Amino acid sequence: MSKQYETVIGLEVHVELATKTKIFCACSTAFGGAPNTHTCPVCTGMPGSLPVLNRQVVEYALAVGLATNCQINQYCKFDRKNYFYPDNPQNYQISQLYLPICHDGGVEIETASGKKTIGIHEIHMEEDAGKLIHDEWEDCSLVDYNRSGVPLIEIVSEPDMRSAEEVIAYLEKLRQTIQYLGASDCKLQEGSMRADVNLSVREVGSEKFGTRTEMKNINSFKAIAHAIEGERARQIELLEAGRKVIQETRRWDDNKESSFAMRSKEDAQDYRYFPDPDLTPVIISDEWIAEVKARQPELRSEKLARYKKEFDIPDYDADIITGSKKLADLFEAATAICKKPKKVSNWLMVETLRLLKENSMEPEDITFAPENLAKLVDLADAGTVNSSVAKEVFEHVFKENVDPEAYIEEHGLKTVNDEGALREVIEKIVAENPQSVEDYRGGKKKAIGFLVGQTMKAMKGKADPGSVNKILKEILEG
Amino acid sequence: MANVISDETMEYVGILAKLELSKEEQEAAKKDMERMLDYIDKLNELDTTGVEPMSHVFPVHNVFREDVVANGDDRDNMLKNAPACKDGAYKVPRTVE
Amino acid sequence: MRITEWTAVELGKKIKAGEVTAVDAAKAVLAQIRAVEKDVHAYVTLLDEETILKKAAEVQEKIEKGELKGPLAGVPVAIKDNMCTEGIRTTCSSKILFNFEPAYTAEAVLNLEKAGAVIIGKTNMDEFAMGSTTETSAYGVTRNPWNLEHVPGGSSGGSCAAVAAGECSFALGSDTGGSIRQPSSFCGVTGLKPTYGTVSRYGLIAYGSSLDQIGPVAKDVTDCAAILEAIASYDKKDSTSVKREDYDFTSALVDDVKGMKIGIPGDYLGEGLDPEVKDAILAAAKALEAKGAIVEEFDLSLVEYAIPAYYVIACAEASSNLARFDGVKYGYRAKDYEGLHNMYKKSRSEGFGEEVKRRIMLGSFVLSSGYYDAYYLKALRTKALIKQAFDKAFAKYDVILGPAAPNTAPKLGSSLSDPLKMYLGDIYTISVNLAGLPGMTVPCGKDSRGLPIGLQLIGDCFQEKKIIRAAYAFEQTRSYEAPEIAKAAEGEAK
Repeated sequence: MSKQYETVIGLEVHVELATKTKIFCACSTAFGGAPNTHTCPVCTGMPGSLPVLNRQVVEYALAVGLATNCQINQYCKFDRKNYFYPDNPQNYQISQLYLPICHDGGVEIETASGKKTIGIHEIHMEEDAGKLIHDEWEDCSLVDYNRSGVPLIEIVSEPDMRSAEEVIAYLEKLRQTIQYLGASDCKLQEGSMRADVNLSVREVGSEKFGTRTEMKNINSFKAIAHAIEGERARQIELLEAGRKVIQETRRWDDNKESSFAMRSKEDAQDYRYFPDPDLTPVIISDEWIAEVKARQPELRSEKLARYKKEFDIPDYDADIITGSKKLADLFEAATAICKKPKKVSNWLMVETLRLLKENSMEPEDITFAPENLAKLVDLADAGTVNSSVAKEVFEHVFKENVDPEAYIEEHGLKTVNDEGALREVIEKIVAENPQSVEDYRGGKKKAIGFLVGQTMKAMKGKADPGSVNKILKEILEG
Repeated sequence: MANVISDETMEYVGILAKLELSKEEQEAAKKDMERMLDYIDKLNELDTTGVEPMSHVFPVHNVFREDVVANGDDRDNMLKNAPACKDGAYKVPRTVE
Repeated sequence: MRITEWTAVELGKKIKAGEVTAVDAAKAVLAQIRAVEKDVHAYVTLLDEETILKKAAEVQEKIEKGELKGPLAGVPVAIKDNMCTEGIRTTCSSKILFNFEPAYTAEAVLNLEKAGAVIIGKTNMDEFAMGSTTETSAYGVTRNPWNLEHVPGGSSGGSCAAVAAGECSFALGSDTGGSIRQPSSFCGVTGLKPTYGTVSRYGLIAYGSSLDQIGPVAKDVTDCAAILEAIASYDKKDSTSVKREDYDFTSALVDDVKGMKIGIPGDYLGEGLDPEVKDAILAAAKALEAKGAIVEEFDLSLVEYAIPAYYVIACAEASSNLARFDGVKYGYRAKDYEGLHNMYKKSRSEGFGEEVKRRIMLGSFVLSSGYYDAYYLKALRTKALIKQAFDKAFAKYDVILGPAAPNTAPKLGSSLSDPLKMYLGDIYTISVNLAGLPGMTVPCGKDSRGLPIGLQLIGDCFQEKKIIRAAYAFEQTRSYEAPEIAKAAEGEAK
């Protein structure tokens, strides 16, 4: 490769809003129902049914727009995007083309190369499609409309990103902001946040954009990075071979680590947008904007500043914890109960992050209650359990949200504080291990470690290591 | 000016509209469309400069629902008209992307 | 006089007074249907006799208990087949919905059920309301009760023919470009298209969503006012529904037009208008003038642009509204197909009739890439100008008077061969839909062949009461005339 290329990336990010009901009907948006159990005439496209807009969708879209420094179209409308596909029951999607709710905003990101603003072209409201399940036994597909009509916002960025790192920083920023607003849980894996990547390459120094492709179906940060690298390489290879990049939609397959074109003759990509005659315009008054602004919760940067002032925890911890709304909420709630910010922070930073990683989970997937974390912090602090038992108990708090107090009781994990009983066990261990005793007394102080270990083993871990050390020393040195 | 619609255009519109016309139907539809478009071109006689396109006749706006779940499980009612269904879902020919 | 000759309100009064029962009324209508339906073919689907009589008996009981007090309690009604009725087949006269049984009932029909009206069946129409003759129905043509060789008009031809032939006491129709007013004119009945947003569209299977409106078809103005009062409602399920200040339409049934200013658009009386129709319309104007109305001719303007603007807007909306009929969720699916897109194409091509396909193609074309501004936006701008022209007219006049159609009912089979010519027949009705106005047709005479002529009265937005008053006053100058066929059934005279 003789030439130097620059990658130009813009994102279309779809975010499912955290409303209780769908955008145009009173069906539940809850995840996980049996197929088509959250459907009605509106979201299955029954003849004669009509859409009525969920006010909360506008509220959330407004909140996201304001938090990402967008201009608000105070007169906005819905349009129909016409295309045939079975997951789209009306064979048109209600969306916004001509007058989207927000436009011309941007967010600041920070990467190793410094700070940068990524422009937001527009944010519009639209409805999600249903789900197509490919049948395993028969040559057919099955349509489930439970997700049909779930409200989405689509955040369209400017082509301002130049690397996978920037893309991920931008997505993280959007995710944080939206989670803080409570507008969505933004789970990539469950599809409540999805990104389509528009990518082109051009020679460094060129003013003109290259031909771009759009990649769909990317559902993790890792896959996004892969897809960007893969597509960049593919386009450069084409150009180097003197061929042209075709403007098309491609589907990224993370298993095969390659993308393939989605075009077909039947897919004309001519969406015949026109204003939806069934819906009336939305007029957003200055007062409404002011109300949404006033209700805006503490965002990440404000929270970070407050943590640094209010809690005695390392800056690094504050940064990680506030990086996820879920972690921050857990931290604050647990701290409010046990008043031990440093200890709570430790549990989150070490054990919680470890378990998340081991289980390939996101902080948003955490199910345990802050009360149980606070209780465990107190129990460990009071010496009711020693630290290794506490870790063991925490695994159960993390996985099953158990009440640590009850769990410790039930499994007899309390540290034995009966010195007489402990001394008896230690005396037995000392008697059984004359070699170690001799080593210790001969100056190999490290030998005590083995005896501590044997004692803990005999106690099934329920002894306080401090007490064991103390008694051992008394016996060995006394 | 007389509008002339090509066969390609007719086929293209057929793809958009998901309609497959027979040769004769297509010929007839093409002629009808040309005549209709000639007639519609009459609108060009009108000077509409500065006139806002009017989609809604009345200035009704901000018609909202509150975000409250009111629909229960009505699956069987929704599915009962489906030409083909399986396991509580609408059955369609295998879709490939 | 026999039950089937009474108006809906007369029948309702007699039921309430205990002179006849709801069951008697249903039986009378069923007897009439048995006698004439084979000739008229007003219905696509008739409910079975047992169901109808059971319902009538239930309603009768409620009337006797005093639970149902309205003017339409116990009165038999026919519903145009583009309104959803739970568990009752609803086809839009299309093959594509040949077996469709809705899971819910349209709001306007629910309102009628609450008022105690007894549904008899679903009436024939032009497929998806696209047509002006009821000949585009996939279930056979409906014949004009005045002359079986002629069309009843359309698209609400079945509703209007059923009312004229006494096969129901009244009916609901829908009007997108004249579909209530024109067939009312052809069948010699009274029909009203309300101001857009007055009657909920929830459950009305859409043709042109920004133009569609449900309205009553009946024997006289009093019935229309009473029915409108029953079906009009502010419905939160229809975002385009309008919360009105007045729903007391029957209060306008006053025989007084003194000082009322009535304008006749000169552009409605020009070339293309049948001289017999013109004479009847002008005679009607004279009659109103004689009652003290101030009648004058004026220039409405833009009349010739309404049809092209209408066809662009209605077909564009229809192309999108009818996309949902694809063989996946309901209705017809082709038997043999290869893959998804072929299934779509075959199901739709086999399921839709010629006129529907024509309009979907036109609508898809005018919205397609590169044509949207030139056609669709141009049409919406024209619509704005047409609305302005009406605003100007209504600054001067209370009511606009004109014909409902350029001629009387044509012969069966004479219209479809030239679609453009058929479209031109909508010239006096279409602009009313574009501007969202209320319009009404009342019979005002017959031509030399004995076919009815209708007078159209148009009001400003939300001014139904003005046209009802004018129509009522005019109606007092003549008496309702039913076709011979309406007297066909034997044996239930009272």
